[in-house]
Amino acid sequence: MLNLFLKIATRYLLKNKLYSFINIFGLAIGIASFVLIMLYVNYEKSYDKFDGSENVYRVFMDYLEGGEYVPGDANAYIVSGPTLKEEFPEIESFVRFRRIRNLVVMHNNTPYDGIVGSLADSEYFDVFDRGLVKGDQRTALNEPYSVVLSTAIAQKLFGDGNPIGQSIKIAGDDSVTFTITGVMDNSNRNTHIKNDLLVSFKTFHTWKIFENDWKFTWNQNEYYTYIKVAPNTDAKLLNQKVMAFVPEGFEFKEKHHMEPIEDIHLHSNKPYEAEANGSASSVKLLAIIAFITLVLSWINYMNLSTSKSLERAKEIGIRKVVGARRPQLIWQFLLESALINCIAIILAIMAVYILLPSFNRFIGQNLSFATVPLKSLAPYFFILIAGVSLAAFYPAFVLSKYNPTKVLKGKVQTSKNSLDFRKGLIVCQFIATIVLLVGTFVANKQINYLKNRPIGADLNQVIALNGQVLDRAYDSIFYQDFDVLLEEMKRNPYIADATSARTYPGDNFSNMNSNLGLTFPDGHTDETHIWYNYGARPDYFNLMGMNFVAGDTFLQTTEKRSNNVVVNEEMARFMGIIDMDALVGKTIKFWGQDWTVSGIVKDYNHLGMKSAVVPTIIRHDRNTQNVLIKLDEKAITMTGVDKALGKLERIWHQVFPVSTYNYTFLDQKFEALFNEDRKFAKAFQIFTLLAILIASLGLFGLTSYTCIQRKKEIGVRKVNGATITQILQLLNQDFIKWVGLAFVVAIPISWFAMHTWLEGFAYKTTISWWVFALAGFTALAIALLTVSWQSFKAATTNPVESLRDE
Amino acid sequence: MLLQLNNIFKWVNSGGQRIFLLKDISLTVEEGEFISVMGPSGSGKSTLLNVIGMLDGFDEGEYHFLDESVHSIKEKHRANLYKEYIGFVFQSYHLLDELTVKENLEMPLLYKKFKGSERKAMVADMLDRFNIVGKKDLFPAQLSGGQQQLVGIARALISNPKLILADEPTGNLNSAQGEEIMGLFKQLNDEGVTIIQVTHSEKNASHGSRIINLLDGRMI
Repeated sequence: MLNLFLKIATRYLLKNKLYSFINIFGLAIGIASFVLIMLYVNYEKSYDKFDGSENVYRVFMDYLEGGEYVPGDANAYIVSGPTLKEEFPEIESFVRFRRIRNLVVMHNNTPYDGIVGSLADSEYFDVFDRGLVKGDQRTALNEPYSVVLSTAIAQKLFGDGNPIGQSIKIAGDDSVTFTITGVMDNSNRNTHIKNDLLVSFKTFHTWKIFENDWKFTWNQNEYYTYIKVAPNTDAKLLNQKVMAFVPEGFEFKEKHHMEPIEDIHLHSNKPYEAEANGSASSVKLLAIIAFITLVLSWINYMNLSTSKSLERAKEIGIRKVVGARRPQLIWQFLLESALINCIAIILAIMAVYILLPSFNRFIGQNLSFATVPLKSLAPYFFILIAGVSLAAFYPAFVLSKYNPTKVLKGKVQTSKNSLDFRKGLIVCQFIATIVLLVGTFVANKQINYLKNRPIGADLNQVIALNGQVLDRAYDSIFYQDFDVLLEEMKRNPYIADATSARTYPGDNFSNMNSNLGLTFPDGHTDETHIWYNYGARPDYFNLMGMNFVAGDTFLQTTEKRSNNVVVNEEMARFMGIIDMDALVGKTIKFWGQDWTVSGIVKDYNHLGMKSAVVPTIIRHDRNTQNVLIKLDEKAITMTGVDKALGKLERIWHQVFPVSTYNYTFLDQKFEALFNEDRKFAKAFQIFTLLAILIASLGLFGLTSYTCIQRKKEIGVRKVNGATITQILQLLNQDFIKWVGLAFVVAIPISWFAMHTWLEGFAYKTTISWWVFALAGFTALAIALLTVSWQSFKAATTNPVESLRDE
Repeated sequence: MLLQLNNIFKWVNSGGQRIFLLKDISLTVEEGEFISVMGPSGSGKSTLLNVIGMLDGFDEGEYHFLDESVHSIKEKHRANLYKEYIGFVFQSYHLLDELTVKENLEMPLLYKKFKGSERKAMVADMLDRFNIVGKKDLFPAQLSGGQQQLVGIARALISNPKLILADEPTGNLNSAQGEEIMGLFKQLNDEGVTIIQVTHSEKNASHGSRIINLLDGRMI
């Protein structure tokens, strides 16, 4: 029996090639998209999940901002960890990370840069449940000047040799040598706080590069701090206690605050995050899209199978006449569905394997079935199987219901209910399509809006150079050489201008100082609002194309530094200044010093377009962190950028022969700050296209169903004089009605969804009415195109065919 | 002369063989005739009727309807021609199940650009003429076969065609109902409508003025 069923099913599939193709293809697209998106969603959700991660929390500071405590930044104080552990017995251990800036590792006199390294407490391996590939994790970070490397860095430095016991140096303090005590494998670990190299925290106390920070009090807060609490601790209660806790000698209006490490990647977006985190709302939206796509493909399957069933009415009739009972027929059709679905699933999985590399390149991740624990995929497979069965049962149920005598006379009864049901499904498909279309349009509009929004600075052809000079101390001779470097660069024909600054637009929070406490010109002192500052040379503003609202750049009374500052408009507003010109020459106080405002610069976006402009003070300083170069437009168009870049590197190495060298184009770095959103918009686009494709397939199926069902009606109308146009109108107006209905339902849904999404941006595009109109028209156009092919066929059929007497 | 067929051939190719559906049919129909086409199953009766009704084409020969050469005019023109001059009656009535009697009658008028008031008048007239005013709001499924066929004929007549083509109009009816329909046809014929019917029944054929016998696509 089973054999026979399968035989019939295969023959049927082969006979109706187009139908089989559409059906299987639609399902496969749906399943493949679902699997792909779910791999991504799972990856995003898998951050910082390890054995015991549910007991690990990050401690950060809440700041008093305008009268209430709000999350300040992602860091805590150097003594926060030890103090909290002392105070609360629930806290079993803590780890502090202090980033080592501009880390350059020296090995065999070769410099290696681009390594992310931190000082870390010895309990690191306990808190983060991380084993060492080589070395002993209990002792690895116990002694000063111990270093643990990642496998990748170990490989880079030592090849296949054993690095344990070997020594390296770190640029900045030539007098000390570090011993490698461990190698950790973190290639498979998904975490928001990535480290290639860990230096034992005890090194800090004597290591000269941190000389300025050798004070262990509540004075420095650039320590990522993680605590591990005892199992079954009431974290909420502990957090309340931690927030209420005021340590001895702690004088700031700040509070300690705990957050689960598992939530950080998707839910935390504070200043000074260890890396740009993901977005929970994007992940949620994508997951919803995945489900929509999947459900659409099931709806499709149901529609297509039932619509095609009419052609099999005769088979069912004969089967019933010769004695088949309904359950047997249901089984037969379920089996057929199973066959189709199995083919679709196999195709989908093949497609996922083939598409995964391009998908990875596209989202910039490295997803594979291997990196996602299969256990976490189990619920999705369950959903898949359940949905498939449900989708398969419906056609089987409908098909097996036909009354044999009527069917054999050629009269297929079509129940009004089941048709309404299918119409409802189509309307749902259209709702989904329109919502997705609106989503795509709005996401693209927002990205374009951000892209075209004026930054307030001209980043075009501006390059930031930063390298580590390895053979020098930062003394007066170094600064002299640095000035020589800038002069050299300015003389070069490729270069329009050169200056240096601590940071630049697009550099995000890195290299910016956050501060509390500022005395305004009117003598009022604010202690509760965060503001930011960095140092730059006087010609920084000119090179960056920034404009002054009032005043000008720092007065160049000295080559080195002065107490001149430039503030941005936001800062002026923060200080309650209305007349900008009046601010010029006024004195403000911070860091226990007087500063003179020399100019007010027009607001520009330092932190990218996702964040609003923050109050910022730019100090006159000859900081050497970044050399900023404006390339000469004309010289470059003649010879190309590469030549100019080569020249820059040569000049750099002429002045600083022993140094590392890196460069970045500012405009690229700035735009990279909303790469995540761009990727999201693109993913949205792709899956919208797929969803539309699936919905069109479904519509195609339903149209063919309607046309078969209305064959007689069309024939009668034609015989009575209806023209092809009139028949087309008749057939198409239903679909127009459905699209209209779907449109009405889709507007509020899509508006709400996109409104929520836009909440994550400081600068929002408007959700204009034309977005909805365009989405509606697109959906309508797609519907009519899909439908018209079939209805045209039906309308042009010779009525003699359809009216042949039974 | 209403229509004239000259040496009409119609065939299909099946398995390398040419099977003739109509073979060398020549026929002249004058206005006011009542012709019955007879012949065994598969002899080509319905095909002939469809060709005359311009629902089906033919492969060879000439067909003149009134002054038009049907074999050489364009599809759109042909459609206008039959829309204006020909009404169809079917064995299984082919009423639209979702429309009421009144709406079924009105349907052909919708395709002929009559104004709403005109349509109303014509439908009322037809309902009256066939004595089915009381049934105007019923659906086809609520009528007997004879009544359905009555509606079918009324629909065929509503735009005053010159020619009624009926394909076994009484095939699905009992003898009393069949008689009634034939009586109606006779009466219409007397009023000047040309009728061509396909029938199996000698008795029905006897109502007509002329009988055409078909066998294997040929007139005998």
